[in-house]
Amino acid sequence: MIYFDNSATTFPTERVRAVCSDTMADELSGNPGSLHKLGVAADTAYGKCISGTAALLGAKPSEIIFTSCATESANTAIRGFMSRNRRAGNTVISTRTEHKATLECLAYLEKNGFNVVYIPVLSDGKPDLKVLEDTLAAGDCALMCFTLVNNETGAVLPSDEILKLRNRVSPSTVYYLDAVQALGKIRMDLHKTGCDMCSFSGHKIHGLKGVGVLYVRDGIRIDPLILGGGQQRGMRSGTQSLVLARSFETALEEASEGIEAAFDDVSAINGYLRRELAARKAMILSPDDALPYVLNVSFEGFESETMLHCLEIYDIFVSTVSACSSKSKKVSYVLLESGVPQKIAANAVRISFSRYNTMHEAEEFIRCVDEIYDKFAVRR
Amino acid sequence: MNVILARMGEITLKGLNRGSFEIQLKSNLKYRLKRFGKLKIFQSQSRIWIEPLEEDNPYFTDLQSAQEIMKAITQVFGIVSVSLARKFEGDFDSICENTKAYVEELLADHPAYKTFKVESKRGNKAFPMDSPHICEELGAYMLDNFDCLTVKMKNPDFIVNVEIRESNYVYCGKMMAHRGLPVGTAGRGMLLLSGGIDSPVAGFMMASRGMPLDAVYFHSYPYTSDQAKQKVIDLAKIVSGFSGRMTLHVVNFTQIQLDMYKNSPQDMLTITMRRVMLQIAEQIALQNNCKCLITGESLGQVASQTLEAIAATNEVVKMPILRPLIGLDKQATCDISREIGAFETSILPYEDCCTIFVAKHPKTHPHPEDVVKAEENLDIAEMVRDGVLGTEKIEINPF
Repeated sequence: MIYFDNSATTFPTERVRAVCSDTMADELSGNPGSLHKLGVAADTAYGKCISGTAALLGAKPSEIIFTSCATESANTAIRGFMSRNRRAGNTVISTRTEHKATLECLAYLEKNGFNVVYIPVLSDGKPDLKVLEDTLAAGDCALMCFTLVNNETGAVLPSDEILKLRNRVSPSTVYYLDAVQALGKIRMDLHKTGCDMCSFSGHKIHGLKGVGVLYVRDGIRIDPLILGGGQQRGMRSGTQSLVLARSFETALEEASEGIEAAFDDVSAINGYLRRELAARKAMILSPDDALPYVLNVSFEGFESETMLHCLEIYDIFVSTVSACSSKSKKVSYVLLESGVPQKIAANAVRISFSRYNTMHEAEEFIRCVDEIYDKFAVRR
Repeated sequence: MNVILARMGEITLKGLNRGSFEIQLKSNLKYRLKRFGKLKIFQSQSRIWIEPLEEDNPYFTDLQSAQEIMKAITQVFGIVSVSLARKFEGDFDSICENTKAYVEELLADHPAYKTFKVESKRGNKAFPMDSPHICEELGAYMLDNFDCLTVKMKNPDFIVNVEIRESNYVYCGKMMAHRGLPVGTAGRGMLLLSGGIDSPVAGFMMASRGMPLDAVYFHSYPYTSDQAKQKVIDLAKIVSGFSGRMTLHVVNFTQIQLDMYKNSPQDMLTITMRRVMLQIAEQIALQNNCKCLITGESLGQVASQTLEAIAATNEVVKMPILRPLIGLDKQATCDISREIGAFETSILPYEDCCTIFVAKHPKTHPHPEDVVKAEENLDIAEMVRDGVLGTEKIEINPF
């Protein structure tokens, strides 16, 4: 099997599975809210887990909230901030190439009377900074929401430039970053990154599904999305799961070890595939400077879904559009917004890697693509 | 005790063979109602009565559960309508008392009801009052006992129906069924089932004429996904809710389609493909004791459904091809699709095998010589053989 769909999800590593299994087996499975010694032990372990995770992210423990997924993190950040800070301004800035988790929150805000300004995206997948500057200068901007690495194309946000712009033109605008696809692939130091809020997902970094993280910089106030027993400083009620939190911490710790070497290996795979595919009947849709972990390719003569199933015959797994929306039979809005013609976008396949993929797999992939063209090509 | 009254329709117009239709209908009802507990199903004149053999059968005691069993009965072809009735014995006094109790329960559920009328049928001619007399007397009794009600002959809020047979029955309202003839009274047909809107409706319509079905689906993986195949299985299950158990024959069509694509003119591809599909379907039909093919074609709807294209596809098979939708417009077909609960599944967005290889400008009015020429470089007999041999059988049970 060749699994090239790592932007959709990744398999949990052996180390993650072992940590989860150990955590479930021992007395740490108590409720961290209980007053007896099992509860205290679980609470202490949970605190350690938060500290460990915070350290790995370059943040303080008080800035970390465990959630159920990155979508919950995005909802908590965007809706929670706008709900709490009504006097900060009525405008939210973003782009139309964000993940649905962000776009649907923005649509919700629009319905509730907020003004959302979508900055146009250029052909390299980056927002038009001139328009962004003008929008920030117009004032009234409470929040801006961007994605550090686009999940469909791998386009990397010029975050430093955006931050400088924000600091110069509208320093009070809060900066929310979706870093789901960047985590575990590039070293994350949140205080250096300079964003105010940031969301992450566990299952994209070889952790478990069911856990995400929201970073909220100290000093930023948001309303919680989930109310209840007041766990996690009241920011996310619900009994904390030490197993899930530990799975996240362990996966992140593992990803951080040798992160640069893995980046180089994946870059080599990406480079090889770009060269080989471009020499065939494929068009590379990911920008040249995209994160190497994501490669969006349009195969001439094959609709996305047909290529996906052709590859499936060879036990190779990729995505069309993005895994969350591939059932709705729509052409990728991210590609269309980036100026890719409809016909080319309709044939787009996303190949996405993890540090466990090998060059041998990439070579086998190319061999299979050749065979698929021989066997199944249908020119209309 | 509550019982269900199911009315027969077209069957009652039958002559000497009426008995065989009734036997089939009762047998279909028994099969369809298996999961609703032990039941007694018997016939009296043009009505079929369904009684629970256990007193606490919830499908007869609880009104919401009763809707479920009644809905199941409406899916049995041959039934026109269904009512949940209260059964009791006794003379006119007993009729009055039971009707009063029944209407009290009805008004508790429908407090806005203000007007009514009484209708009665007297099957038991030994009963001392005739029907108009029963209506008058019972109406008067109701007016005496319910201050809130008045009689209204046209469009009352509810009609109290009283039937006097071996026992007495009272009921209000009825659920309409799908009419038709009992499945099993006509020969078996082979439905060409795609993932679209039309073919399940075609199957439903032929089943409504008493025809049990098998179905054939042409699968072109990897051009069509396994989700598309699952969609067809789901549609077959929906149709089988009306037609009874069926076998779905899934033909692996990929290689045949690719060969055709490479060796046949593009603009004739749709017609050539339809001709091969029909021949494969005919062979599978013959092997499975089916006596006709059924398609969802509607005249002029798409390129392969012009009169010339239909003539070109018709001539390759000997079996009759039934096209129950031939004169329906799309809206009418969609309405039926919604009515039988297939529409939402039919419009799921997975491609079916017809759409992948469609030429940009297919020939809509092919000449017979074009058709022959298009198949010059194809070994049709081998394609049909391969198609039949590479068929997977899936048993479809409605429940």
